[in-house]
Amino acid sequence: MGEALVLGLASGPACIAACGPVLVPSLLTERAGVWAHACYLAAFLGARLLGYLVFAAVAWELGALVSLLRAPRMPLVGAVYVLLAGVLLWYAWAARRRCAGVCAGQALVQIAENKVETKQEDGLGGAAALGLLTGLNLCPPFVAAGIRAAELGSLGAALLFFMAFFVGTSVWFVPFAGLSAVGRNEAVTTVARMAMALIAVWYLGLGIAMLLGRRVYGY
Amino acid sequence: MATEARGLRLGSAVRRGVGRSVLLTLPMVVWALLMFFHPGTATDRQSLIAAGATAAFMVALFFLMMRTGKTYRWRRVFFVALGLLFPVGFIYQVMHLRGTMGIPMEEMIAGRTPFCFMPIPMLILPAAVTRTVVFPGSILGAGGMSGAGIAAMVGMWLALTLVLGRGWCSYACFFGGIEEGMAAAPKKATIRKIDPRWRLMPWAVLLAMVLLSLALFEPAYCEWLCPFKAVSEYLAARNTLGLFQNALFVLLFAGLVVVLPLLTKKRTQCSCFCPFGAFQSIFNKTSVFDVKIDKERCKPCVLCQTACPTMSLSKESIERGETLLSCTKCGACVDACPRGAVNWHVKGTEAAANPERARLLFLYAAWAMAVMFGGSVIAQGIRTILHFVL
Repeated sequence: MGEALVLGLASGPACIAACGPVLVPSLLTERAGVWAHACYLAAFLGARLLGYLVFAAVAWELGALVSLLRAPRMPLVGAVYVLLAGVLLWYAWAARRRCAGVCAGQALVQIAENKVETKQEDGLGGAAALGLLTGLNLCPPFVAAGIRAAELGSLGAALLFFMAFFVGTSVWFVPFAGLSAVGRNEAVTTVARMAMALIAVWYLGLGIAMLLGRRVYGY
Repeated sequence: MATEARGLRLGSAVRRGVGRSVLLTLPMVVWALLMFFHPGTATDRQSLIAAGATAAFMVALFFLMMRTGKTYRWRRVFFVALGLLFPVGFIYQVMHLRGTMGIPMEEMIAGRTPFCFMPIPMLILPAAVTRTVVFPGSILGAGGMSGAGIAAMVGMWLALTLVLGRGWCSYACFFGGIEEGMAAAPKKATIRKIDPRWRLMPWAVLLAMVLLSLALFEPAYCEWLCPFKAVSEYLAARNTLGLFQNALFVLLFAGLVVVLPLLTKKRTQCSCFCPFGAFQSIFNKTSVFDVKIDKERCKPCVLCQTACPTMSLSKESIERGETLLSCTKCGACVDACPRGAVNWHVKGTEAAANPERARLLFLYAAWAMAVMFGGSVIAQGIRTILHFVL
């Protein structure tokens, strides 16, 4: 357990770097305020834990085949990236509906037209979907944890290992709550939505390339 | 009022006499000589001719700014020359040193490339997390510069940026000139109505590229989205993916730097895409110079809004008497106003205190930067042409 916790703490920066492109823009489309962001982060991290545990079970059952070998790993990661791109695009589109009322503050860049007046909704479902998919994303520290978990004696031990690893990495996600201090207006949410769409396109391209078995630098 | 007494005021422009314009230009003559001629260092004939021509060109443009009171028209001449001559000198240098314009991905990741300021904002987070600069990295040997060289360049950029804000994008950037030339070509814009939300796109590109660069520990913008790879150095396409990346560079260049400026008469790459421009905009808050609109003089004809090449004016901002954060201080709006309501301004002074003095202060700083950065690029381009002609 201690080893898993330390591994999580040590690899936290790599985890936040890997999750940043998903987490930062999606948080910026949410309502400002610590409570709203705490709810979002809780949903995101909870679903990420679920993703970890699903992976832990698979890694243990397959004896780390999925995490060790590049060939079966590529299509899996590719599929996760394509799904992630789909959820990000949907989230960017749906965030427009959540913007009403949030976007009435002082504008960074004034936009007079195109205000969408609909009821305010939260994006916890989207946060959970994004958390689950980033939990399944095989980033290097995650693969390291997967290999170690696969060597353990039982499925229960592997799950506990991943839970401790999750707690270690989650400490690094606390600073993201600081984004609640960023004021919300139409400009900020529009920028966040546009960035989500761009990142989604990038994940989509990467995912398709991986599904087709193409090597992409760094992957 | 004293300024008006010494010159003829037409709209916002103060037309001066030749003698007074020469006097005001003298400091720039000294600066240009310092920048282009280094006594005691051996140099060839082509370099001397290029340095002389560039110094004369930059000084002449500054003189015309002083004489006519107009800024944008003369600055644009410099900027278009810079945009056109940069690829000439750069491509020659790259070919001379490397023998090809294609740079392999591993060379790019290792940072063995010439310095470029565009990825600076994308490097900050990866550098903070890993304490290493992912690009440009240890630029040494083939065509690069040392770590100290990079530090000096970044230091100079920071100092100038703190003073001039996004003025960098109109007086130093060697990429914006091509699209400014394209935007100036047609008499009228074919596309006149542009959704104001496009002005937010550079911020989105900046956010996405900063986050992806951190996730990948690679310069994501340079690898995937830089339109100017099309006229500088491209990725050595060794597989389908490399071909796709290069196709993206060419498409972005053709669309944002050639076709859209021709259709809109706007610098579309600068105003709707460039993440470095968005980053520079933040420094408009630290800059001592800005452009103000005198609400009493302003009859909202929106000529300034139409003239602005970077869409940095909106009806709301004109009502507030200021430009948007994205203003590049190019002077187009100041020159376009027939009532002299749009003026240069030094922060902390009254809006209509002495606009011509504010303009002079800004132009000395901005043109000094233009001579230093842009001038050296122009001189290099001229030298390359002379190398082939003479």
